[in-house]
Amino acid sequence: MSTRARLAYFVRTAIGSMVRSPFVHVIAIAALALSLVGFGLARIAAAQLDALVASLGGEVEFTVYLGPDSPEDKVAELEKALVARTSGTLTRISPAVALGRLAAQLGEQGRSLTELGDNPLPWSLELKLPPSSRDPVALKTLAERTRALPFVTGVDYGEEALERLSVIARALRLAGLIVFALVFLTTVIVVSATLQLAIFARREEIEIQKLVGGTDRFVRMPFLIEGALQGVISGGVALAGVYGVIRWLERDGGDLVGFLMIDGRFVVAWGRLALEQLGLGVALGLTGSFIAVRRFLRV
Amino acid sequence: MIQMFHVTKAYPGDPAVLTDINLDIDKAEFVFLTGPSGAGKSTLLKLMFLAERPSKGQILIAGRNIARVRESSIPYLRRNIGVVFQDFKLLPTRTVAENVGFTLDVLGVSRDEVRERSLKMLRRVGLEHKADVSPLKLSGGEQQRVSLARALVNDPAMLLADEPTGNLDPALTVEIMDLLCDVNARGTTVIVATHDASLIERYEKRTLRLERGSLVADTRGEKAAKLMAHDQ
Repeated sequence: MSTRARLAYFVRTAIGSMVRSPFVHVIAIAALALSLVGFGLARIAAAQLDALVASLGGEVEFTVYLGPDSPEDKVAELEKALVARTSGTLTRISPAVALGRLAAQLGEQGRSLTELGDNPLPWSLELKLPPSSRDPVALKTLAERTRALPFVTGVDYGEEALERLSVIARALRLAGLIVFALVFLTTVIVVSATLQLAIFARREEIEIQKLVGGTDRFVRMPFLIEGALQGVISGGVALAGVYGVIRWLERDGGDLVGFLMIDGRFVVAWGRLALEQLGLGVALGLTGSFIAVRRFLRV
Repeated sequence: MIQMFHVTKAYPGDPAVLTDINLDIDKAEFVFLTGPSGAGKSTLLKLMFLAERPSKGQILIAGRNIARVRESSIPYLRRNIGVVFQDFKLLPTRTVAENVGFTLDVLGVSRDEVRERSLKMLRRVGLEHKADVSPLKLSGGEQQRVSLARALVNDPAMLLADEPTGNLDPALTVEIMDLLCDVNARGTTVIVATHDASLIERYEKRTLRLERGSLVADTRGEKAAKLMAHDQ
């Protein structure tokens, strides 16, 4: 009794069954592939949203406004603490530089600023935040602590915009998870129902296998391998589908999903997506087969 | 080989199909099982290959009490029992050799060995030249010989045949019966359920007669055939 011979038999039987009744298997593969295309696109949209949040995070500046006569040693201490805390890049901006920037921003109207006798703008510290330090909660705490310092007159870091973006990203991810769970369940039901048709056609074979001494595991294995093979095939088909859709969107879908693209492209980790598609396909196929064959083992 | 003690089989809500069966069949014995339709012949065979469990009583096969066997052990016990059915139960999508090899596939025998042993068994039943055709292209007698080859390819200790000649003409019936006698001569216990009085008379083997679920006679030859005169 060789395990190798048995495994070879299971694989032969599974492939033979798929060849003998292609229609049923094509339906199961199509159902699986459709779900996986949906999953792949949702996955890319979520990753794209993360990349968008990250790119916006790069533009978020944490600005600390200093009061007049701020003690130099305390300011230096604060600078060190901010850089240590956020790993950001800090620049001290003088009132003159700030006024120059403001004038440039205002354009023609900015000329009147040069006529001011005293520069009303304070010294400030500009901290450019790396993506790893964009967490709204951590930034809020940091801002509150900084504001509490006696020589600090204000802190600004685009709090509302960042929080709103994070909430949207979280909500989309949650919605994605719920949709994914529903799609998973539906796919398992469809695949299981489709496989039941295939198994029903082979009920006589199952009966004979059991009569000649086949264990439940022996009867079940070819069906599980069939499910796994369907998963692999649909994973591949779905990956090709997702690739086609993404390339099409990049070429012609600017009006539709342009807001999600960065520089007119989607950033996709194809290798990782391929593994996920295949893994999920196999998991769905196996689950569907397991449920389907379980009913027929009660022969 | 087979011993039954006060075996009763009943399904919930229905009268008992078998009542208080006691029998003893020796190793390498050839036994006919007769009786009118509905007498319980098929159920008795099903109890022997563990497709059914007795409601009461004990069944010993090769000294093992199968009434107490765990569900998961049943496949392993069945590997020692060959079964032949009236409707052959061959798979039309497989070749003749593949049908025969089915029993060996279950055991995890290598593909080459399955083929070799299947062909050897087909040679024994005179069908080696039909190894690679579909069973659908065979006559009834040939299909039954394939079914017999599948039951025997694993050298089981016991062969159960439920009306194996029920669908065959007299010439093919003799052909199959001769094969069964040959198998028996090689040491396999053979139990054949049949309606055919001419077989009972011709082959002069021990004959157990069931009527309405009870074992009513244990005779042989002409005497057994006479009891079948009014069977349907």
